Amino acid sequence: MNQIKKPIWILLLAGVATFSSCKKEFLELNSPTSLVPAIALGKEADLLVALRGAYASLRNVDHMGRTVPMIGDIMADNAYQSTLNTNRYTLFNNYTYNTLDGNVAGLWSAAYNTILRCNNVINASITPNTANVDQYKGEAYAVRALCYFNLVRYFSKPFSEDPNALGVPIVTTYNPDDKPTRAKVSDVYNLMIADLEKAYSLMTKYTNSSQFSKYAAKGLQAKVYLTKGDNANALTAALDVINNGGFTALTAATHASYWANSTVTTSKLETLMEVSSDATANLAFDALSYLYSQAGNYGDYLATDDLISKYAATDVRLGLYPRVTRSGVQVFSVNKYPVISGDYSDTKVLRLSEMYLIAAEASVSTNETNAKTYLNFITSRRNATAITSTGATLRNDIIQERRKELAFEGDRYMDMLRLKVDVVRGANYPVAARSFPVSNFRRQLPLPQSELDANANIRSQQNPGY
Amino acid sequence: MRKFLFLVASFAMLTMASFAQGNRTVKGKVSDSQGNPLSGVSVRGGNAGTSTDASGSFSLSLPASVKSLSFSSVGFSTLSKSISGNAMDVKMTQENAALSEVVVVGYGTQKRSDLTGAVATVKAPDIENKPFSSVDKILQGQVAGLQSVASSGQPGANQAILIRGASSISASTSPLWVVDGIPLNTGDAARLQTTSNLLSTLNPNDIESITVLKDAASQSIYGSRAANGVIVVTTKKGKAGKTRVRFDSEVGSSDIAYFNEMYRPLNAPEYVALTKEGLVNAGYTQANIDATIAGLGGTSGVDFNWLDAISKTSPQQQYNVTMDGGNEKTTFYLSGGQFAQDGTTLNSKLKRYSGNIRLTHKLNDRLNINFNLNGGNVSQRAPLAGGSFGNPVLSAYFLRPTHSAYNPDGSFNLVSTQLGGLHNTIALSEIDKRYLRQFSLRGSLSADYRILDNLKFKTAYGSDYNVLEEDQYNNPLHGDGAASNGRAYSYYTRYFNWVWTNTLDWNQSLLKNGDLMLNAQVGYESQESQGYFGSLQNQQFPPTLALTWPASGASPTTASASISEYTFTSTFASGNLNYKNRYVVSGSFRRDGSSRFGPKNKYGNFWSVGGSWNVDNEAFMQNVKLISQLKLRGSYGVNGNAGIGNYDWAPSYGYGANYNQQPGSAPGNVGDSSLTWELNKPLDLGLDVSILNNRVNVSFDWYKRTSEDLLLGVQLSRTTGFSSTTRNTGSMSNKGVEITLNIVPVKTKDFTWTVDFNFAANKNKILSLPNGADIASGNQIIRQGQSLYSYFLRNYAGVDPANGDPLWYADTTLKAKTNVYPGAISRTISGNSLPKYFGSFTNTFNYKGFSLEFQLYYNLGNYLYDSWGSYYLGSGFGGTYNKVQRQLDRWTAAGQVTDVPKYVYGGNKSFQSASTFYLVKGDFVRLRNLQLGYSLPKSVLSKLKIGNAFFYTRGANLYTWVKDKKMPFDPEQGTGSATNLNVFIPKTVTVGLNVTF
Repeated sequence: MNQIKKPIWILLLAGVATFSSCKKEFLELNSPTSLVPAIALGKEADLLVALRGAYASLRNVDHMGRTVPMIGDIMADNAYQSTLNTNRYTLFNNYTYNTLDGNVAGLWSAAYNTILRCNNVINASITPNTANVDQYKGEAYAVRALCYFNLVRYFSKPFSEDPNALGVPIVTTYNPDDKPTRAKVSDVYNLMIADLEKAYSLMTKYTNSSQFSKYAAKGLQAKVYLTKGDNANALTAALDVINNGGFTALTAATHASYWANSTVTTSKLETLMEVSSDATANLAFDALSYLYSQAGNYGDYLATDDLISKYAATDVRLGLYPRVTRSGVQVFSVNKYPVISGDYSDTKVLRLSEMYLIAAEASVSTNETNAKTYLNFITSRRNATAITSTGATLRNDIIQERRKELAFEGDRYMDMLRLKVDVVRGANYPVAARSFPVSNFRRQLPLPQSELDANANIRSQQNPGY
Repeated sequence: MRKFLFLVASFAMLTMASFAQGNRTVKGKVSDSQGNPLSGVSVRGGNAGTSTDASGSFSLSLPASVKSLSFSSVGFSTLSKSISGNAMDVKMTQENAALSEVVVVGYGTQKRSDLTGAVATVKAPDIENKPFSSVDKILQGQVAGLQSVASSGQPGANQAILIRGASSISASTSPLWVVDGIPLNTGDAARLQTTSNLLSTLNPNDIESITVLKDAASQSIYGSRAANGVIVVTTKKGKAGKTRVRFDSEVGSSDIAYFNEMYRPLNAPEYVALTKEGLVNAGYTQANIDATIAGLGGTSGVDFNWLDAISKTSPQQQYNVTMDGGNEKTTFYLSGGQFAQDGTTLNSKLKRYSGNIRLTHKLNDRLNINFNLNGGNVSQRAPLAGGSFGNPVLSAYFLRPTHSAYNPDGSFNLVSTQLGGLHNTIALSEIDKRYLRQFSLRGSLSADYRILDNLKFKTAYGSDYNVLEEDQYNNPLHGDGAASNGRAYSYYTRYFNWVWTNTLDWNQSLLKNGDLMLNAQVGYESQESQGYFGSLQNQQFPPTLALTWPASGASPTTASASISEYTFTSTFASGNLNYKNRYVVSGSFRRDGSSRFGPKNKYGNFWSVGGSWNVDNEAFMQNVKLISQLKLRGSYGVNGNAGIGNYDWAPSYGYGANYNQQPGSAPGNVGDSSLTWELNKPLDLGLDVSILNNRVNVSFDWYKRTSEDLLLGVQLSRTTGFSSTTRNTGSMSNKGVEITLNIVPVKTKDFTWTVDFNFAANKNKILSLPNGADIASGNQIIRQGQSLYSYFLRNYAGVDPANGDPLWYADTTLKAKTNVYPGAISRTISGNSLPKYFGSFTNTFNYKGFSLEFQLYYNLGNYLYDSWGSYYLGSGFGGTYNKVQRQLDRWTAAGQVTDVPKYVYGGNKSFQSASTFYLVKGDFVRLRNLQLGYSLPKSVLSKLKIGNAFFYTRGANLYTWVKDKKMPFDPEQGTGSATNLNVFIPKTVTVGLNVTF
């Protein structure tokens, strides 16, 4: 026994000690950068943080960050791809996208990701239910409606064509194992209108130009009604914003500086809602501004000759489309999003001017005088020619004024869809991509393959042609 | 755990049974059968023991009760002799080398004859002085069933290793590396730079041996992390005796290993002519065509070869010095090394400095202390890869030849429109900075104490410390930094991983005659790994190229730091019973607890059983002279795979989804509180045969391993807001055979010819998936009943000779053709990215002092996808980018039969979209190593007073044969077999010298 020296006992004891040190806590490690959902959505202040997360996801490159405002003009007749390009949205310029397209899959996923973030805010049970909680939930309802609005317009037949057509899946609660089917287009519109009604009634505050407010939600509702073809409600909603929203109108004098500004404002000048990009949270090379600006190394997309020809020489809006030489050719560039570094240009979602255009369009069938008043509210503030036409011409003039005012904001193609007009494009586009009549199946985007692969229930509901 | 405590207690009791008595001293001398003295022979009697000195002598003080001494030494049969008088002379006989070889296995060593598992070893001579930046690359072709694949020729790039196929779909498929007892953090730890490899800081010349554990019997002792195989590395130790100094050096250069003329970028006249044709085909007006051609540089008169400009012949060198020696009490091993290698493209380089110290000391007859510290520092520059505009390889294929990298005055051409919106990578490689500095220390301190002759306690504390500093500067004038007026990053990553292991080893003869031996081990281990990550980025730099650190920027945009940790605690036991060296039965058990799993399933149990029958030791075989070894082996067991993220089980809300620079949160992880290990159940049957005096040695293994409760990335409907989540579901099997052959066809006094051949065939099959549903995975599909990594593509049907349209098969019957890119329903399984067969074939010739070795590595039966083919071979898609020579095969006239469609500027139909057009057969055979060497004869050496001198010249990857003549790039493109415009894999020619003093 004497030969057994102390060290071995110490070592053995140490060995045994390791068992006692094998406490449960040693194996219990939590992520240092995240919280469990119940805590992350536990209090009023948390809800605001979660709401910001929803807004931030709108900036996704394939949602409001770039794809939605881009293809809304590329697939129409406003923006075309320069022959000198970096190959972005080529398939939209040429109408050759398919089920594997990354932008299509990105739009679908990004919009539903934002919807989840909104659902979590909307469904959070916070006590007490303060005015702030209502405000946040109201904003989340409005953001959710915006997502469904983009989804249903791109992936489904227009309401005006067939309200009973397949819309998009309606998801309002969190269930990771859900495999939903497509709801009817009309059901999606009902949801959006109801969401925006709730948003309108819950919200009491205006924060800044990059968050929904009561009247921004109403403005979106006006657009939803117009898209649905419900002119009476569209007019009421638009007038509510114009008369009660407290927003100031853009003038010829403020036009250039308005578009040059890339910061979020609280002046209530023109902007009802925009998606913010700032100096730290932005898409860098993937930003919307990078695809239009000739100052960076993309500048892939240009304004069509056809669009430019529609402006009067005096129109201040022409200032946004300077003539440049690209690839040896004189072309019209787009300067609506000029800031490509630092605080990048934001994506406009809704502007006061559009409310006047909605009011004009919604009243043209019942009161042409009013329609012209609303319309010339815009033309007079752009140094454009006043519109005096009547009947069908006036209706077309209103649509053309929308095109001129809302160009490169992702709106033109949406108009062509809801108005059921053929896409007819000029010589700026490839020969094979100049005519896409209402009957063309590619006017609806394909459901992405990744969704079909993961969701057996939706597999049989692919849009025709794909 | 209770069992372990009981064992500790009983061993302690046993130790008390020894008593002290009166002593006497026995002296003697030990020699081999030729009479040469043997040093370092262990001499034991009772509880006393010593070892022989350089002259073979020993002196041992013993209690009178001890009647016999036992003598043991590596390579010799253990001898037991009764003590007669106080002086003894002992002769030891050599064992059959192959059978007596000691193999490092999990938590110890085993004699090869005791093995029941499938274990392969690679020794220092096959690891040293190879022109590769890390040991994982050196393993290619050396072990049957171990597939080691590069995806990039970047020195220091990460390497993928699969042992016996891929056992997991979503969790890690990388083996566990255990270096000197420490389970390492391995893989690519870079967060900013293109690639890194934690093993690149380990100097392969410091490695003594590598053991690859391939089956349950050998692996399962590593429990929850053994499923992908275990690679056990032992570093070099000093030997007692005269101090030896060894110097190794190698210098050479490298070049692109494989190049296909069909994939040469076009020159300017070719590009311009093709583009004109494409514009006409797209229907543009002549004025527009002329303007566009001018805009694309068609009238510039420049013809610039970007590929030549970005690729280069690169130097390579390594120097290693080692010194070792010591006496019976203390041995040491010291080494220092330098390794420098440049890649085949601009600014691709690596430099490593490394050092190693190992000290062993016998404190007394029972207590040994072992200290080891191994450090390496790597500086690396790696260019961007894949679709990054700053990737030099991308620019070689995409940038138009009509514009030069330089202005006429010699300055860099930075005109964005002349670069197709991409970057002048030649300029960027000069003015931008991309640095990775990686520092690693691996060390262990251990003590083993022989409580009884047959009972040993060992405690070892080891740690593995890695620091990565990544710095990057993108200048404000051109390239990725232009948009932010310059930007610079500094990332700091640290992994500190410690492990404390305690084991008790017990050997006991269970029968009096020694016919039945028991080796048993119990142990306890705890491990913690902490990752620490700091990241910063600053933008808006002064308008100069001289200020490249974040300190000079004006707009800090990234300021982040965080940690990530995991822990394991484990108890384990193993044992084997050996009856007369004829029958061996083994078993192991391990219980692991890990922080990586949900509260409901933190602990898992893993085990194995194995058996072997050494037929050659049977009495009836003693007269069969032809067969020197005949062994049958078998094993089965369960081990696991914990290769997922540290916090994957936890449902979470993450932060950083900020808006207007205010904090924002977002759902992070679906989570699953019952998430646990993925199980792997390997069954192995093996046969080892040696005949003709070990001139022919064959090992054959058949295995089937089933992976169950896969940690699967289950696809979720995107409408849920998530794309996937990890769940334990699904199962998969890998079945295969491995053959290792070693033949010595000729063996004379002066000439030896040795042939080594290894072969592996593996067949993967996905047995079940949730609801049996397919899982899409890019161009591949994960489908029940099929192999993992199956390509799932639309089938290309060639070109319509009438109009040059691309055609695809409209459906899976592959009959009707269409010029409209068909729906997803038309996709079929069209090959696999993993090879059906792979291995190597080596011939070594030795004539007197000369040696010639050549090794062919073969990889057969897989397919490779050309990810970027749509751009440089898309018949007009991406018209502003350059094309490759194969594009000139496009259709031009009615009736023409070709497989490349009409060239239409902007794209022809959806030809550029994924299809089998871009898939090629991946079979290749490569001359991996060709080496001619000469050793100075003994007579010269003794005059020069040096121990050994060896000169050689070597070529690595000198020749590559591919089956498919349309193979676009090097056939080695990672286990995923998809090209990604990486640094070209090099062929290297070197000359070297090894001298020992």
